[in-house]
Amino acid sequence: MSGGVHADVPGEEPAEPPANRMAIAVLALVGIFVCAYLVLHSLGVVGTLVCQVGSCEVVQSSRYAWVGPVPVSAIGLAGYAALFVLGIAGTRPRFARSRAVAVLLLAGTLVGVAVAGYLTYIEAAVLEAWCQWCVISAIVMTLIFVAALPEVPRVRGEGRASPGTEGEGRV
Amino acid sequence: MAAAPENGTRVGVERVAATKSGSGSKLTRFYTILAAVAVVGLAVVGYTVASSRMGGPVTEPIELEGVESDTALFELAEGVGRGDPEAPVVIHEFADYQCPGCGSFASRIEPLLVRDYVEPGKARLVFFDFPLVSIHDHAFLAARAARCAGAQERYWDYHAVLFGQQSRWSAAGDPADLFVEYAGRVGLDEDDFEACLESDRFARTVTANMQLAQRLGVNATPTIFVNGQRILNFRGYEDIADVIDEALAK
Repeated sequence: MSGGVHADVPGEEPAEPPANRMAIAVLALVGIFVCAYLVLHSLGVVGTLVCQVGSCEVVQSSRYAWVGPVPVSAIGLAGYAALFVLGIAGTRPRFARSRAVAVLLLAGTLVGVAVAGYLTYIEAAVLEAWCQWCVISAIVMTLIFVAALPEVPRVRGEGRASPGTEGEGRV
Repeated sequence: MAAAPENGTRVGVERVAATKSGSGSKLTRFYTILAAVAVVGLAVVGYTVASSRMGGPVTEPIELEGVESDTALFELAEGVGRGDPEAPVVIHEFADYQCPGCGSFASRIEPLLVRDYVEPGKARLVFFDFPLVSIHDHAFLAARAARCAGAQERYWDYHAVLFGQQSRWSAAGDPADLFVEYAGRVGLDEDDFEACLESDRFARTVTANMQLAQRLGVNATPTIFVNGQRILNFRGYEDIADVIDEALAK
């Protein structure tokens, strides 16, 4: 550990914290709070949802708001928490060029945006009712997906400063 | 020539140092934004939870915003079922916990229906709240209390106690303490029950059930439907049992 970051070697760029991963972490944190609010409602901690637009209770009390005994919002909370951790980790020099982080981020956001799309379809076509918090969550997840698109070149192995440097544990 | 690499190294080191300092400030800005989002998020969620708990119990119907379509109302309205979900006959009951006729039905007819049809799996009983709030000032809170008991999986036990003690709590100025006492009697967690009762939980569901009853043309309590057929002017258990037997024979 003679100095830490491999960028200390003259001529090699340090691992810049990728801006898109910072955006993912910030957006995921917003998603965490939205889902936490809905989870608290599912647990009975919050009474009627604050709902200026749409009909949140209709959506939240429908059978689509639960997967067995688990509220969908809790699953969303877990998903956002995972993306938040990945986003934060992905900004650290150690993982800035990590292909594994890129793959996980892309896969996670792809699943997230697909689920958000499905739930939005249920609101529009089946329940004919909108929950503003679900819509906000769907928008946040879409933005996270867009923010994750720059990971595609990283997944393909493009734009790496030098092969074999990822995940070497340098901080 | 010998100085060139040394010079190049210095330039490289300076560039790296500048880049590192740029990365550092970028990360600092990033963490500042994260902290700001966390503070705002915690404040909003905390305020919402606190204001929800300080709101006091909801004792009358609320406005159902965004429930314009029948589909939305049917999704929000929710009966409490008892018996086999696959039973060939479904008995829908619309009732008011403060209505003496409903109390009489609950003590004289309902136990027989449960014994003869629900427990053998022939019929399923589904109870919908229809508190007549214009004449029964505690009916809405009672319906919510039963739902709060349902949240602890003891709806029907509490349902029986509410009807059994109807004359007592109906005469009380504020029945909330009695409702909590009944919760203890049926083995509920009294703190959880009281927190539920003191909030606005289930106010939308009970209100939606009332609106559903009105849309179905229910104008008296108790009103009984057997497989969707409304039983008019029943005088006793036999009148309802006859309709159920007919439905079972089909």
